[in-house]
Amino acid sequence: MTGSPALRLIGKRLATAIPVLWGVTFLTFVVINRLPTDAAQQLLGVNATPQQIEELRQKLNLDEPLFSRYFSWLGDVLSGNLGRSFASDQTVTSILSERLPVTLELLAYALIVSLLFTVPVAVLAARRPNGVVDRITMTLSMLGLSMANYVLALILVYIFAVKLEWLPAIGYVNPSDGIWPFIKSLTLPAISIGFPLFCFYTRLLRADILEQMQGEDYVVTAAAKGAGPWRVLIRHALPNSLFGLLTVVAVNIGTLVGVTVIIESIFALPGIGGALLEAINNRDILVVQGIVLVLATVVVVANLVTDLLYAVLDPRIRYGRPAS
Amino acid sequence: MAAQLPEADAQVPSLALAPAGAELERPRGGWLRQLDVLVPGTILVFLLFLFFVWPVIGPVGKPTGGNILNANIEPWSAGHIFGTDPVGNDIWSRILYGGRNSIEIAFSVQFVGLVLGGAVGAIAAYWGGAVDMVLMRVLDVLIAFPALVLALAIAESLGPSKSHTILALCFFSVPAFARVSRAATLRLRERPFMLAARLSGTGTGRILLRHITPNVLPQLVTFALLGMGIIIILEGALSFFGLGVPPPNPSWGNMIFEGQGILSAEPRLVLVPSAFLFITVLTFNLLGDALRSRWSSV
Amino acid sequence: MELGVTDHTASVETEPQAGDRAPGAPLLELRDVRVAFRHGGRRLVAVDGLSYTVAPGRTLALIGESGSGKTVSSRAVLGLLPPTATVSGSIRFEGEELVGLSERQMRRHRGASIAMVFQDPTRSLNPTMRIGAQITEAIRVHQKLDGKAAKARAIELLKLVRLPAAEQRFVEYPHQLSGGMRQRVVIAIALAASPKLLIADEATTALDVTTQAQIMELLRDLQRKLGMAMVMISHDLGLAASFADEVVVMYAGRAVEQAPTRTLFANVRMPYTKALLEAIPRIERPPHQPLPVVPGRPPDLAALPAGCPFAPRCPSARDLCRESAPPFGEGEPGHRWACWYPCGSDGAAPA
Repeated sequence: MTGSPALRLIGKRLATAIPVLWGVTFLTFVVINRLPTDAAQQLLGVNATPQQIEELRQKLNLDEPLFSRYFSWLGDVLSGNLGRSFASDQTVTSILSERLPVTLELLAYALIVSLLFTVPVAVLAARRPNGVVDRITMTLSMLGLSMANYVLALILVYIFAVKLEWLPAIGYVNPSDGIWPFIKSLTLPAISIGFPLFCFYTRLLRADILEQMQGEDYVVTAAAKGAGPWRVLIRHALPNSLFGLLTVVAVNIGTLVGVTVIIESIFALPGIGGALLEAINNRDILVVQGIVLVLATVVVVANLVTDLLYAVLDPRIRYGRPAS
Repeated sequence: MAAQLPEADAQVPSLALAPAGAELERPRGGWLRQLDVLVPGTILVFLLFLFFVWPVIGPVGKPTGGNILNANIEPWSAGHIFGTDPVGNDIWSRILYGGRNSIEIAFSVQFVGLVLGGAVGAIAAYWGGAVDMVLMRVLDVLIAFPALVLALAIAESLGPSKSHTILALCFFSVPAFARVSRAATLRLRERPFMLAARLSGTGTGRILLRHITPNVLPQLVTFALLGMGIIIILEGALSFFGLGVPPPNPSWGNMIFEGQGILSAEPRLVLVPSAFLFITVLTFNLLGDALRSRWSSV
Repeated sequence: MELGVTDHTASVETEPQAGDRAPGAPLLELRDVRVAFRHGGRRLVAVDGLSYTVAPGRTLALIGESGSGKTVSSRAVLGLLPPTATVSGSIRFEGEELVGLSERQMRRHRGASIAMVFQDPTRSLNPTMRIGAQITEAIRVHQKLDGKAAKARAIELLKLVRLPAAEQRFVEYPHQLSGGMRQRVVIAIALAASPKLLIADEATTALDVTTQAQIMELLRDLQRKLGMAMVMISHDLGLAASFADEVVVMYAGRAVEQAPTRTLFANVRMPYTKALLEAIPRIERPPHQPLPVVPGRPPDLAALPAGCPFAPRCPSARDLCRESAPPFGEGEPGHRWACWYPCGSDGAAPA
């Protein structure tokens, strides 16, 4: 029953996603090109002569007009070629495959840990609204939310790395060099990101659960069957609320990536954020484009999946649930 | 407005699954009920006074141009409650002026976001159709665009300054407000009184002004309040990357960034601005939260 | 396996409570039930002294506009009210007092001895749970059956409520069914533990007229088959006429008229009931005539006027009505009403 209409929806959403990716990559291209210096100047440094700069420009095709460069880049992308870095001559693809996993690992670590705590805490809080657990949870989560993640990062470093020396202050360890050191190297960064997330998600989930418990007919039906409060909470209200939470998580993926940049910087993790910063500094357009393309695609896909889920499950869940 | 029983024969069922007294309402009347707004509100007023008025009328030193001979004075010393930084500036005055900068920036960003984003979102939702689609696509692009790139690009090309920081941060706030405004307007559009207004021939502009704005505005204002904290934090983050308030002018962000390097030696250079950052953000969050729970039950 | 037919005239339930029923004793007995809500520092009385009894196997209709207290009073029976509500008075089921029972004790009754069916089947079913699971849940809360046995019983129930293609529906989700089918599922859930009393709260209001008739027929059928008593809550007096044995009309939280159906319709006393009757669209009426609806709006329960709550809207209201509320008394055998100047009388107040 949900076969064909869903496919049509996917098609429609994809059709709108493509122009967005276009827009984003074009905008990036324009912005980078508008920067005061260009790659040639950056690479050669301050002491370069105008001739050397001109030569390098020609070599890198930087003298061609913007539009043609953009379209040739587009063409390359469509045939699978993301180009090479001006600075290091590495292929953009290999840079991505080096740096992207680090960021993804960090995000996954942070998200998984925060969600693992969110669900039980929210359930416990929702079980007795305004009860002891609830009030403590709400207070602590409000405090946690108000903390900047870079501040949290610095404090964590001070306590756990400098004073207690339990965890490393900076640096990334490849999983192939040891699972445990790998996890340790990502723990403080993951907590810095994950803790404010946990606070935010817990409030959200709790509010959603309560909304279900107090406003939805199926909850009364469940109670009228004779089901106990825990069962109604966990078996009925929670699954419906989790859905709402997951859509928020998905939609926020884009901002999350932005957040990791600063954490990566503080902890000196070789992630995609750092790569982007370097590339911007070097005016390494192809690298910037490649990274932006990947990031924008992630955001667009996440939004698409969320939209789809809502649309497909529309008859199930639509009543009374606000869109944002 | 007739006090029709809220939970009687209307469709809303509720459940005795929470023990008595667990209702989310405050049974006490009067000002005690308003405490959740009054407390953060008062603190906010106090903070605003501290950052904007006190440096003018009170004995607050200069935040910049310190004498290197005064460097690293301990806290609680005469004239320097929090001591001085490695360059000799009084930390207390840097906190105050930095706070002013942070709040000015955040306020401007949220204001622009509310006005611009709110208008765009409402117009898109009200007109619907092609206008909506186009505006939404543009917003999607802005949202998908790593604002980081933009922020850094602005810093690089235009040079870091307060106004450029505001510009960069607006790219975060305007789309966010547009989304909220659009969702709120869409919900409004369905309501019978909107249909009535249209049928009675009220012009579009008037509708937007008299009907939509007063209903959407409270939501936008709470959103703005809740966002103040985020923007202040973001502004701090930008300092890590060269944007933000340019030194030697203080902002909490650049104070934290500068203090990073000597964290182990002099943690207070990070801790003091962090504490103020925390308190200010917390206050905005509490106030925004309280107002939201008030206004959403309307 | 028996086809879900349980003989309720012999008490086989595990109720070890006092008051074993003498033959003819009421199944459900409400006496002077009051429900008040604490709302923002104020107290709203939703139900103000309601009394009625339901005999085993019989149907009582509770009729009223929204705000009359009919739903609240029924929810009070099963303790399904929010924590802001206080219930006083007596609600006895098979002699056992339900008011004041703990949550755990209440749960023994919910679904097992008393079941409820709600108004909107779309919202009453969990959208993310399969139909079958929702039914087996109702079964297994009260009975120790394993998965297979529970499934078999569930399918049996689906067939009982005449849901076509029961086995297939078992694994489907609510949104894959039509409104009428969903309501049948809701009824199946209610019947899962063979309750003796079914409370149907506007069970057909959200359905179209044809489906409405089908569901009401189904309910009547099931009632006869299972020997179940029923309280049907509605605003539709016409529905009560066709399906109920006894009718209680409520207004502003109070019962204003009560009688066996035939007596009520033959001999309406309360002007409110009369107005409701006249507001029923009838085919015999000349076309293109305005429907004589009851003028005005239901009263604000927080600001009830002194005197009879219906007085502001009553065509026969006189000074006495506005000054003092009429008592609810048995003016004729088996027929109670609360009116100073009932229809068909010459102004004599009821006993």
